[in-house]
Amino acid sequence: MSGERARPLRGDASAQSRTESWIADYAPIPGIRDEFVDAAGKPRPHWMKLLGALARLTPDEIEQRFAAADRRIRDMGISYRVHGEARERSWPLSHMPLLVSETDWQEIRSGIEQRVDLLERILSDVYGPAQLIAEGALPAAAVAGSPDFVRAMRGVKPPGGRWIRLYAADVGRGPDGRWWVLGDRTQAPSGAGYALENRLVLSRAFAGLYREMNVERLAPFFRDFRTGLAEAALRSEPRICLLTPGPWSETYFEQAYLARYLGMLLVEGEDLVMSEGRLHVRTIAGLKRADVIWRRVDSDWCDPLELNAASQLGVPGMLEAIRRGEVVVANMPGAGLIESRALLAFLPALARRMLGEDLRLPNIATWWCGQERERESVLSNFDEMTISGAFSESVPGLNIGRSVLGSELGANERKALIASIRERGMDYAGQEVVRLSTTPVWDGGKLAPRPFTLRVYAAATSDGWRVMPGGFCRVSGRGDARAVNMGEGAQSADAWVIAEKPVEISTLLPAADNVKIVRLLGNLPSRAADNLFWFGRYIERVEATLRLIRALCSRLMDADMPADGVRQSIDRLRRTLAAWGATPPDIDQFTPAALAAAIQSEEAYGSALSIARAARRAASVIRERLSQDAWQLVGRLETRMTSKEFGGASEPEIIERAEAALHTIAALSGLVNENMNRVAGWNFLDMGRRIERGINTCRFARQFADRDARAEQLDVLLDLIDSQITYRARYIVGVASAPVRDMVLLDPYNPRSVGFQVARLDEHLAALPVLSEDGMLENPRRIAMKLRADLAIEDADQLDTQKILAFEQRLMGLADSIAARYFLDGAQSVHTKRQEGLA
Amino acid sequence: MIYDIRHVTTYRYDEAVASTRCTVRLSPRNQDGQHVIDSGVDISPPPAEKAESLDYFGNRIATVRIVAAHRELRVAAIARVEVARPQAPAPGLTPAWEQVRRDALAFPSLDGLSPVNGLYPSRLASLHAPATRYAEKSFTPGCPILEAAVDLMTRIKSDFKYDPAATAVSTPLAEAFEKRGGVCQDFAHIMIAGLRGLGLPALYVSGYIRTIPPPGKPRLEGADASHAWVSLWCGHEFGWRDLDSTNAMLIGDDHIVVAIGRDYADVSPVDGIIFASGSQTLSVSVDVKPVTEER
Repeated sequence: MSGERARPLRGDASAQSRTESWIADYAPIPGIRDEFVDAAGKPRPHWMKLLGALARLTPDEIEQRFAAADRRIRDMGISYRVHGEARERSWPLSHMPLLVSETDWQEIRSGIEQRVDLLERILSDVYGPAQLIAEGALPAAAVAGSPDFVRAMRGVKPPGGRWIRLYAADVGRGPDGRWWVLGDRTQAPSGAGYALENRLVLSRAFAGLYREMNVERLAPFFRDFRTGLAEAALRSEPRICLLTPGPWSETYFEQAYLARYLGMLLVEGEDLVMSEGRLHVRTIAGLKRADVIWRRVDSDWCDPLELNAASQLGVPGMLEAIRRGEVVVANMPGAGLIESRALLAFLPALARRMLGEDLRLPNIATWWCGQERERESVLSNFDEMTISGAFSESVPGLNIGRSVLGSELGANERKALIASIRERGMDYAGQEVVRLSTTPVWDGGKLAPRPFTLRVYAAATSDGWRVMPGGFCRVSGRGDARAVNMGEGAQSADAWVIAEKPVEISTLLPAADNVKIVRLLGNLPSRAADNLFWFGRYIERVEATLRLIRALCSRLMDADMPADGVRQSIDRLRRTLAAWGATPPDIDQFTPAALAAAIQSEEAYGSALSIARAARRAASVIRERLSQDAWQLVGRLETRMTSKEFGGASEPEIIERAEAALHTIAALSGLVNENMNRVAGWNFLDMGRRIERGINTCRFARQFADRDARAEQLDVLLDLIDSQITYRARYIVGVASAPVRDMVLLDPYNPRSVGFQVARLDEHLAALPVLSEDGMLENPRRIAMKLRADLAIEDADQLDTQKILAFEQRLMGLADSIAARYFLDGAQSVHTKRQEGLA
Repeated sequence: MIYDIRHVTTYRYDEAVASTRCTVRLSPRNQDGQHVIDSGVDISPPPAEKAESLDYFGNRIATVRIVAAHRELRVAAIARVEVARPQAPAPGLTPAWEQVRRDALAFPSLDGLSPVNGLYPSRLASLHAPATRYAEKSFTPGCPILEAAVDLMTRIKSDFKYDPAATAVSTPLAEAFEKRGGVCQDFAHIMIAGLRGLGLPALYVSGYIRTIPPPGKPRLEGADASHAWVSLWCGHEFGWRDLDSTNAMLIGDDHIVVAIGRDYADVSPVDGIIFASGSQTLSVSVDVKPVTEER
């Protein structure tokens, strides 16, 4: 996409007319400042550069670029989850970036640096000597009301020396042209990863333009953030973990993305354990020390022992590890108290007191109603105010979930709210109503003004704060410019800080001299190993189910007058599918519709679709370990099964559908085998597939290769394990039971045989780390070696159903033994009961 | 009065538990009117790690980690405590409740016993509008705070039925209020919610009440069990004053304070996290014996 500069500028006249019509059609909201045009309606120069370049493209080309950007967002799975919804949504990205001039950016950056410095000082005072409190500069009650005043952190020195390591502020521009801080984010700021993603998408859609415009790069910011975290740790090569609330969190995509981008271990609370005063990750190689935790779990949920007992997301004992100085947590539990609006009211005065200067970026004027004079002032200007919870997003007593304008309340609500403010003023704050400036969005070939806020990020480094040049811009879906009505915004936009000189290009790559070469990376957390293993098992089970369905379909098709043997095969295939839960057990007559349902049923727990979904759930927990391509194939597997392109439910159509899905699985297998690094994660994924294939093959063999099996049944078996060609090449005589059994169960050269699976399992286990150095075999290896040897010396003539069943059971025993040794194995953190014997 | 206290908590698990981490809050506080002569906590199986400290509210806690597999966890706490509380102030002499509300809001400290910690809703004592409206009836304009609080406590005693079957340890405050019944924990939470609803600073106290009734007096409910009540901040001069909302009395030498917090969640005697897959049962026995005759 770099061709647009080299190409001669065709149709200059039409480009000019396009630009002119965009400007002419643009209608800023009266009385509201606009980023694109000034008060006289004249476009600002940096925007003209963008539009000029855009106008060089024909309308069709523009739409193509925009469509490519949208497709990329979908393909990358950039998504977020609305609280309480099961499905992730694609992140809507505005096609127009927000442009921020260098002058504006200087103002924002310097204001943010000053502000985060102030906030850090306030936190260390409040959790430390509390001089501000004692001297009356900050009321204790304005702190104590915050649910993020973590009392257990009082008197604790933050390991690494800082309360805040990643800070975000939501800023907006007021009618006077100044930038204002609307709110602070110190708990666990989200959105930085989305900003990075937005940049990737938009800079690709407009590659040439992006280079021309001197846009400040984001990568150095992330590099410095990571370095800052590493330098805070006690050890020189620290293990940095991103603690996620899990796949159900609204911003899980972002967390997985950042963990991969920054080379951190993505962990859930269950992955961590506190022992001997330190935090450790449970890995397949035992407990490994966790030096730094970047938490995306809110403070209250971090430690079920000291904080919210209902939490399943935290680590019991985490606060104790912090008190002992053994783990750096970013941000420190309790840092979130800065976010309360009550505190906002005191910041201007605290800046003067603690820094000796005014806030460079003013914050939106705020009055905390816990003070008598301020309360009366809010009540007497009620209609000109935004009324907010002092310590919460919602207003106590109103079921709205956000702040309200005093003037928009009905008479009864208004009366009740005023009474509540008189009774418990400390729960409320009044804020001035801010009108935000607007920025253009693309709206069907035209530009339209929309209010926006910009989330700006600052990271702690060893030489001070570093501000990300750009940010996460949220654009309102409506024209209403009052900040209170922004909500979360309808779409996001990339923010381009336009430098006056060409910018230095850098990526996350560190200088070569500082990198120690490592070939086996890190240690695999037990939970990730568990999910990889099950991902492998589910994928293999989908494959086996699809093969069963295909084998049944093809036999039904040429069975107008089925021979006895074929009818028997059909019966056995039906029984197997029913036993696996792909079809209801009581079906006598198999209609094609029932077979189609075995692929696509949402209800049947054993349908190919249901198992594919289970595979995707397992994969979503380890998303940062799968390549983008693999993740896309996992999604495509489901669409193949449900797609309309294969028409209805006739046998040939079902076969076609099953084969399309099988091809996707083959592509996935190829990708995994050719592209996945041979570290422990791959071992577990492959072990899952081998175990499942071994067990399934034993089951097939018991059904179709028993002592009195006919040629037709042996034929089915060769179909199911995909060994027809090999068999025909090796034996000219036609199918006979002992050779088939040998090929299916024992043959170490047939990649579908049980013997082959066990040999691979044994090799995988040999490659994995051992817990103790006493040289003794661990249990899974012991089982695998014995099984491998027994299969090697077994004689196909002597194999009967009993023996095959015994092998199958030993494989299941091996799976259990792998789970017991490497995974968390069913046990979980549980709260003990609380004492009931109360008087 | 000197007491010997013995409080034994036993957990039994269906499946062996690989590890336990727990916080024990069973050692009575040293504070005005109460002196701990001796105390100790015995835990079996023996913990691999054990640390004693004071929490934010000044409660004496032990943090324990057990790594040996076990099917039974036994926490036995003993204490000898001397209680000699000064006479409670005459309620009528305490300041007007509106004044106390103002003073608490402006109190310049974030320490554990600062009244600001009692002002806001907490996990188990959230604000509940019906409880606030109920409490409001006792708080007439200008009424001395302790007088109003004693009135509230007396009304709770008469309006609410002591009924261990009505609630469990996890019953939400709103439900106990609706049922007009429960145990000490419920009455304390309800009274705290009502006081906080009016903007007054209230905390939750866990402790014991003496078991043997004095001759000729009725037996006090709460014998042989943990007990809980309410502490209310009554202004700069009078500080925290404890009101037993179950027995409608200001606490005296029959009460022993163990721990103070915002609600039960802050003072639960044994809080543990086990790494386990099976189910568990819990039994508790408490003995509170006066030993004055030994002096």
